[in-house]
Amino acid sequence: MAPEKREIEINSREDTLDLMSPDIRPWPVTPPPSPEEVAAVYAKRKATDFGKWCEDNLRFEYSFGKPEALQGLKVLCMGLWRLGNKFCASLLGEAGAEVINIEPPEGDPLRKLTPFGREEYMLEDKETGEKCGLEFIHEMRNQYSITLNIETEEGREIYKNLAKNVDVLIEEYPPGYMDELGVGYRQLSKLNPGLVYCWIGVRGSWGPYKDKLSKFGQWTLEPFGGCANSFVHNTGFPPDQLPRGKGGDPTRSGVWFADYVAGEQAACSILAALYWRDEFSGEGQFIEVTGAESQMDILDFDIGWYGFNGSIKARTGAWDPNLNQYEWNPCKDGYMMIGGQTDRLWYRIGMCIERDYPQFGRLIHEDPLLKEMGARNALQALIKTYTLTTRWLRDLNRIEAEQKLLEYEIAAGPILFIDEVAEFPHFKYRPWVYTIDSDQYGTILYSASPNSFQMRTPHRVKWMGRPLGKDNYEIYQKWLGMGQSQVNELKDKGVI
Amino acid sequence: MCDIIWCKKEIDGKICNTVNYLDPYCFWNWEGKINCAECGTVYYIHMIQGFMYKGPEERPGEEPDIMPLYADKPLDGYDNYLPGTEGRTRPYNCLPRHIYLGRADMVKFSIRGRPVRGWCPQPPCSGIAGSHGFKWDIQKLSPEVWEEYQEKLKKGEVKEW
Amino acid sequence: MAKDLRVTRLEDLPGPKSKEELEEMKMPYEEFCRKAFDPGNEMTKPQALKGIRWLSTTMYIFTPHSVSNLAELGAEVIKVEMPRMGDPMRHTSPFNECYLYPLHDSRPVTGTGMGFLNANPNEYHITMDYHIDEMKEAFYRLVRMSDGLTECYRPGTFDRWKQSYRYLQELNPRFIYVWGGGFGYGPKVFGGSYDILGQAHAGLASVTGMHEFMGGHCTKHSNWCIDWYSGTQITFGILAALLWRRKTGLGTMIEFSQVQAATRALGYTAPLYGRFGIVRQRWGNWDTQLCVHGIILCGKSDFPDAINPQDKYEARYVMVSAFQDADFKELCDITGNKELYEKYKAHKDRVEAEAQVEIYAALEKWASDKSRSEVVKTLQDAGLLAEPVRNDREVYECEHFRQRGTVRWLEDPIFGDVLQHGTYSAGLMEKTPRRLFWIWRPVGADNVRIYHELLGYPVSKIEEWYEKSWI
Repeated sequence: MAPEKREIEINSREDTLDLMSPDIRPWPVTPPPSPEEVAAVYAKRKATDFGKWCEDNLRFEYSFGKPEALQGLKVLCMGLWRLGNKFCASLLGEAGAEVINIEPPEGDPLRKLTPFGREEYMLEDKETGEKCGLEFIHEMRNQYSITLNIETEEGREIYKNLAKNVDVLIEEYPPGYMDELGVGYRQLSKLNPGLVYCWIGVRGSWGPYKDKLSKFGQWTLEPFGGCANSFVHNTGFPPDQLPRGKGGDPTRSGVWFADYVAGEQAACSILAALYWRDEFSGEGQFIEVTGAESQMDILDFDIGWYGFNGSIKARTGAWDPNLNQYEWNPCKDGYMMIGGQTDRLWYRIGMCIERDYPQFGRLIHEDPLLKEMGARNALQALIKTYTLTTRWLRDLNRIEAEQKLLEYEIAAGPILFIDEVAEFPHFKYRPWVYTIDSDQYGTILYSASPNSFQMRTPHRVKWMGRPLGKDNYEIYQKWLGMGQSQVNELKDKGVI
Repeated sequence: MCDIIWCKKEIDGKICNTVNYLDPYCFWNWEGKINCAECGTVYYIHMIQGFMYKGPEERPGEEPDIMPLYADKPLDGYDNYLPGTEGRTRPYNCLPRHIYLGRADMVKFSIRGRPVRGWCPQPPCSGIAGSHGFKWDIQKLSPEVWEEYQEKLKKGEVKEW
Repeated sequence: MAKDLRVTRLEDLPGPKSKEELEEMKMPYEEFCRKAFDPGNEMTKPQALKGIRWLSTTMYIFTPHSVSNLAELGAEVIKVEMPRMGDPMRHTSPFNECYLYPLHDSRPVTGTGMGFLNANPNEYHITMDYHIDEMKEAFYRLVRMSDGLTECYRPGTFDRWKQSYRYLQELNPRFIYVWGGGFGYGPKVFGGSYDILGQAHAGLASVTGMHEFMGGHCTKHSNWCIDWYSGTQITFGILAALLWRRKTGLGTMIEFSQVQAATRALGYTAPLYGRFGIVRQRWGNWDTQLCVHGIILCGKSDFPDAINPQDKYEARYVMVSAFQDADFKELCDITGNKELYEKYKAHKDRVEAEAQVEIYAALEKWASDKSRSEVVKTLQDAGLLAEPVRNDREVYECEHFRQRGTVRWLEDPIFGDVLQHGTYSAGLMEKTPRRLFWIWRPVGADNVRIYHELLGYPVSKIEEWYEKSWI
């Protein structure tokens, strides 16, 4: 049936919002490739059986028919503002743990954040009309939402009782705050010796450069972590490529990246601690993970390089100083990423470009300075290679360049924006972004868990962020045997 | 950006034939004058989205606004001008050290003065099928570095940090 | 409780039970943490993954890192590389300047580049050419006595070589098999991938860098951060699978797409597009959801006379954060921008795009005649949050990381004195801390140890394979 046509008038941005809703513009806009089309891809490389085996055993759509790896694991998450605790708890939740997220009665301030302060991009609770920001909803996965005021004596008692019966507690409050209230690791581990307690922060809960609060109580948030570990200093275009103050500056990640890194490393440390507890010792332990340090852990060789010969890594824009080719450069309709460092791949890239632009072969392939893999990483080699590569790219759209390079089996891909990511055939097919039909907030497009593709215990998203305190009655009843009148009473007192 | 100026200027009966590389990002959208690294001829260019919208047009007698970062001479064995060759190419300042090598730095001691195996060639030292133990017998393999290290120790040049 | 209720027992009373415990409870929190984590004494504590053995048939950063996390946590790891050549990552070094030698005796002037650092610590390195039928038996022997494997070859390759999970689960039903790569099953299954492709293809680059009106372009995260970050998520998958295997005795296969993991880190980007059709763009050094919360340029470097250009020219940036009303008011006061506070009293107003442009311009104007440290000091003295953007030297010299043991020197058994910023920094653990034994080993350094001592092949056989370049 053809969709019904209707007249609309657009006078402001608000008028367009409803037009973009998933009911009118469902995802995906165009259908994903069919399994037959994909089977043809497998067949081309003589991998028909293997491809079928993978799809039969790993498909995303089968995940709800399989068991959960961490079934039975109980987790409390106690953190505000930052994504480290949220991401860590989400990972555990996606793997099957029962996770309870505790917020103060006024809620996590992260709920209030929305791009450029625009409330129209927040989602409204169908029951209460209360609005919640998308970042919070997207990052609080598979977690129950309860409220508790631990600044009250009664709240702390309840908190202790909750903590007695869990395997894991994730905490992200300012350094020493919980300890001062008498509900930190020192105290809770006495009540529950098997407890794995993980503090997550930006620079640390101890040490001379630990996390600070401003005089007015404002928290330290990302990208302070990236500024402390040299990530920001090392990222961005050099003033030799773009003027300082106009793009040629140290640059932060567009997202709170160190928070994600801290969250996932916290989740790994937690599982390792559980393995040791269950396999060997029966004991819980204390863990501390920070954004600045866990991101420093993955800063390649940067600090180590200083120890070698006093080098201080400089930013190199969209080029990588360690591999050639390995960069993106502008093309007709955006940016094109090309990678291939070993001789085999490097010359293949050249052959591909040479076909359209013969001078490339003349200037690149015949240059004796560019014949050796290591030597191609010299600055002058990058300048020369990328100038000529871009000379080729300026005539091409991203998709054209990608097709040409893929013919030569080069790892190449355009920079995609989220609308393009969401519609990229491969990403729709697996899928990487997916929709969930939530009871409170309607249909939400989300980034799927990359651990969803497993034979036996795929991780999965069961629900997204919840309205504040949605699970109070259920959890307090089930975990502590507190009936609704008691919960209501505590609510009135400001404890819940 | 993403273009080159292949200078064909004839000087003393000889064609310059130097390729000046207009590096991406810097020149992607750019208007102004640039010199040839070899013969100094000044060209006016106006680039939009990587295309030479105008130019290169010679501007005799005028001063360049910018110099290329790199240039080479493919017809003369790829002789080249590295970044920062005075009067020819512009310097590249955003570098990890004040000196730029572009080839392996032969390092014998870390910044705190202890031996690190950062130089080559290293004498062969593996056992069966490329096996290595868990020891660097520096005294035997590289006695001269060991000596140097003893000197450093004596002079107090070996530090904790 | 005591049987006789009249008896008061120490353990029934609330509070500490012994003198040591009392002291521990009384200790200032910071001291308690320091004692609990006790940097420098990691080796006196047990290892969490004691007894796990993992095979790493990996290259570059992404899949190696999924295993290096295990190796740091105490698993025994055997890394398999191509004979003589090794992992291609060994041949990466910044501007070709920094290598450690030897790579292998047969190549005296080739080293292992710094690009390899942190990706394969504590591992045993063997070589093997999988194409050789005779090596298959050795490979299968390894599989029978290991807990799992991570590989990164193009999909179908290991299957063709009869060493995919289809085959290996028959040999070892407890085996946990990980394939990590760019895409996984689907139409682009054979697409190769690198970290930078993940950054580009998955949307991360589209939201990083200065906006066009600021003169910027899509910007690459300095490091192979998506490789590392995705590798850690595999580790998480492996650990969850290990815990499940404790209950069931069954292994599994994990297929992990590194490019997808980059999309996962985009926060509100996907739901914003899905619901409202808004395509998130770059927003430079500012924050789309908070203001003031961004990095500003100061007029003067902190080290104008330094020799190193990074100190001399680049020590000019400060991260300033004052998004709460009181903080913002103080910031406006101290920088002489009282009218901005009057204009943007509500956070909702000052976080709007136009307001941000105005506010940051005013802050940079204020900082334009000051050095980085002057700006930081002025703001910190006013009780606000402001920190310099530090470079690698400053991180090395930072007392904080030294005290916490997250930056430290290591005497590597083969390569000598190496500065280390990985392993310990991934997270402090009180009872089973991560630890580092060595950074990496030369290509094939443990051939005898593994083929002979573990798999029982006679040394003569190993020498023969070596001569033929099968190992």
